[in-house]
Amino acid sequence: MGVLDGILVADFSRVLAGPLASMTLGDLGADVVKVEPPEGDDTRAFVPPADDRGRATYYLTVNRNKRSVVLDLKDEGDLALARELADRADILIENYRPDTMGRFGLDYDSVSKGNPGIVYCSISGFGENGGRHLPGFDPLVEAVSGLMSVTGQPDGEPTKVGVAVVDVMTGQNAVISILAALLARDETGRGQKVSVNLLSTALAATENHGSSYLATGISPSRTGNVHSSVAPFETFSTSEGPMMVCAGNQREFAHLLEALELEELADDERFRTNADRVANRDALHELISAHIGSRSRDDWVELFHEKGVPAGPVNSIEAGFELAEKLGLDPIDETDGTRSPASPLGLTETPTETRSGPPGLDEHGDEIRAWLGGS
Amino acid sequence: MIVGALDGLLVADFSRVLAGPLAAMTLGDLGADVVKVEPPGGDETRGWMPPVDAEGRSTYFLSVNRNKRSVALDLKDEDGLALARELVSRVDVVIENFRPGTMARFGLDYDSVSEGNPGVIYCSISGFGEGEGAALPGYDPLVEAVSGLMSVTGPADGEASKVGVAVVDVIAGMNAATGILALLHRRDQTGEGGRLTVDLLSSALAGLANQSSAFLSTGESPKRFGNVHPSIEPFSTFAAADGPLMICAGNDAQFRSLCEVLGLDEAAGDSRYETNADRVENRDALREAIETALAEREVAHWAAVLNAAGVPAGPVNDIEGGYRMAGELGLDPVDEFEGVRTPASPIGLVGEPPGTRLPPPELDQHGDEIRAWLAGDG
Repeated sequence: MGVLDGILVADFSRVLAGPLASMTLGDLGADVVKVEPPEGDDTRAFVPPADDRGRATYYLTVNRNKRSVVLDLKDEGDLALARELADRADILIENYRPDTMGRFGLDYDSVSKGNPGIVYCSISGFGENGGRHLPGFDPLVEAVSGLMSVTGQPDGEPTKVGVAVVDVMTGQNAVISILAALLARDETGRGQKVSVNLLSTALAATENHGSSYLATGISPSRTGNVHSSVAPFETFSTSEGPMMVCAGNQREFAHLLEALELEELADDERFRTNADRVANRDALHELISAHIGSRSRDDWVELFHEKGVPAGPVNSIEAGFELAEKLGLDPIDETDGTRSPASPLGLTETPTETRSGPPGLDEHGDEIRAWLGGS
Repeated sequence: MIVGALDGLLVADFSRVLAGPLAAMTLGDLGADVVKVEPPGGDETRGWMPPVDAEGRSTYFLSVNRNKRSVALDLKDEDGLALARELVSRVDVVIENFRPGTMARFGLDYDSVSEGNPGVIYCSISGFGEGEGAALPGYDPLVEAVSGLMSVTGPADGEASKVGVAVVDVIAGMNAATGILALLHRRDQTGEGGRLTVDLLSSALAGLANQSSAFLSTGESPKRFGNVHPSIEPFSTFAAADGPLMICAGNDAQFRSLCEVLGLDEAAGDSRYETNADRVENRDALREAIETALAEREVAHWAAVLNAAGVPAGPVNDIEGGYRMAGELGLDPVDEFEGVRTPASPIGLVGEPPGTRLPPPELDQHGDEIRAWLAGDG
């Protein structure tokens, strides 16, 4: 039994943020109907990479637990079915440019007239005011939000994150907004429109950097692999590659010195408090680095773990999954031969579950059209 | 008076640092009453400085603690612990991110709490789960390193890079909020509470989305590509006269418009650049042609004319530039309340928008009222 059993989601979204939001609702038990144009979600064509059946792995990431139906909104018959679907749904998700859904009579005002309980979620790049016509590509938002400006090495270029992280977080914010609106509906019986956008998501996610800028007027700069407010909290070079060491408090710093056999540094006034260590981070980094060469990275990681010092290698994604497997986190969802990252939501009594793998284009078209066309 | 979606909901927030406090603040933004339970020394991020605001407070702490009341309770003290137990018996939601096992030592774990409060939604956030990884501390950079996120971030020929913000913490905090809200909805239907666990490593791997799927489907770990997109071109930063410009030409029409604006008539008709696949294959030559043209003018000029021509493009802003742009677009990106400026909630409930009722509290700022309330009858 899923938490959202009995909830029907009409998913008109494409690419990443919207599909991730609707998949999360599907993982939680909702019935998600993925409405696709005749050519399908754009990501079906994002190859390489492809799986052994030639399907784009990008598409496979965020589309399990959905049924697919092709509806051509420019076709009168299909548009009628789309309106019927919106009329029956609890939740509608779309990420067209603002105005597109309105042209088809599928905007919130039109849909809520016949379906006042609808929770209607619009996802855009730059909101529905001044930025309504700007396209929302993740790298563009990473650039203009300032996220790139704080990512990368201090002497190098501003750097994009290696995954479309603003899309991912916007999808999460869409889910949070939808669930909050669903809770309000539990009380009032009324639905509402919810809007999330990539730029607001990126800025909110700058958290401490955003607050720092807003409080001081100074934009933070790139600090590479060190932390701007904690030390040592950074990578160190080993012969097997970089290793991350995070001493977040006095106790962990003391354990680190013990593991390194550098206990005398505990009394060094340059390193007494975290603020001291941040102020003298280069000297500290050098002193630690000078000792790191004496053992292999694996040996250090093991020793640090024994001593209670948070540390680990800079892994490939493969090694990341291996670690999660070793720790019993079941990080892989495998359904019908399709492997995708498992849901990270750990509901212990009503767990997320996969009932179906990512659908082929229009895989459930006949059953859905028949259902919408009937009474 | 703004009515929040979660008005009337009471949250006990035993969490510290970023992921848990962000989840609790999100619930607070949505209208919940959040009681932040702190050890006598306070949430450690109160001491994470620089930077500080004009009053000397850590901006790190300020970023994820508005809409909360603070009470300092020493769980090792009998009276403090009794008040904490009273608190969890009265709340709708408990959030904690101690090492697994810690709450149980104090009789504050889910089994103990739900005995007297069966409707409670109890969320535990850990670094590496509650099994084999229970003893490992969950710091964001450590999880960025071991999950593979760093391995795909940074220039192809350079170092693996950390993201400039604790993005795994943020993603895990959002997962916690998602699970809590889902369980609250279920409670509305069935009256039953429930328990939720979120860990940073699973959040990072799921957050790696298509990069994770690429590995899971092909067995090959994706590589770093710097600012270039592995499968789309031109879709990255390019050098203009005064700095980098991000151009995202996602389809053939946008590519042709780009050529027109840049005066690259030859490239537009060049068979090497006809389709996206062609452009990816011949990206080095294409990038050189684009950068030669871009060198003539500044980023601001190119961003304006490219956007006017329908080609998505923008400057690589600093964070100030990001806030300025969002302000210009009417997104109200700054939450200002009693003189504390924090990033505004990105949760856009149009009917019942999130609102700020309280600035980030001083340590134990609401301790007297909360202790009196807990010591008296509910």
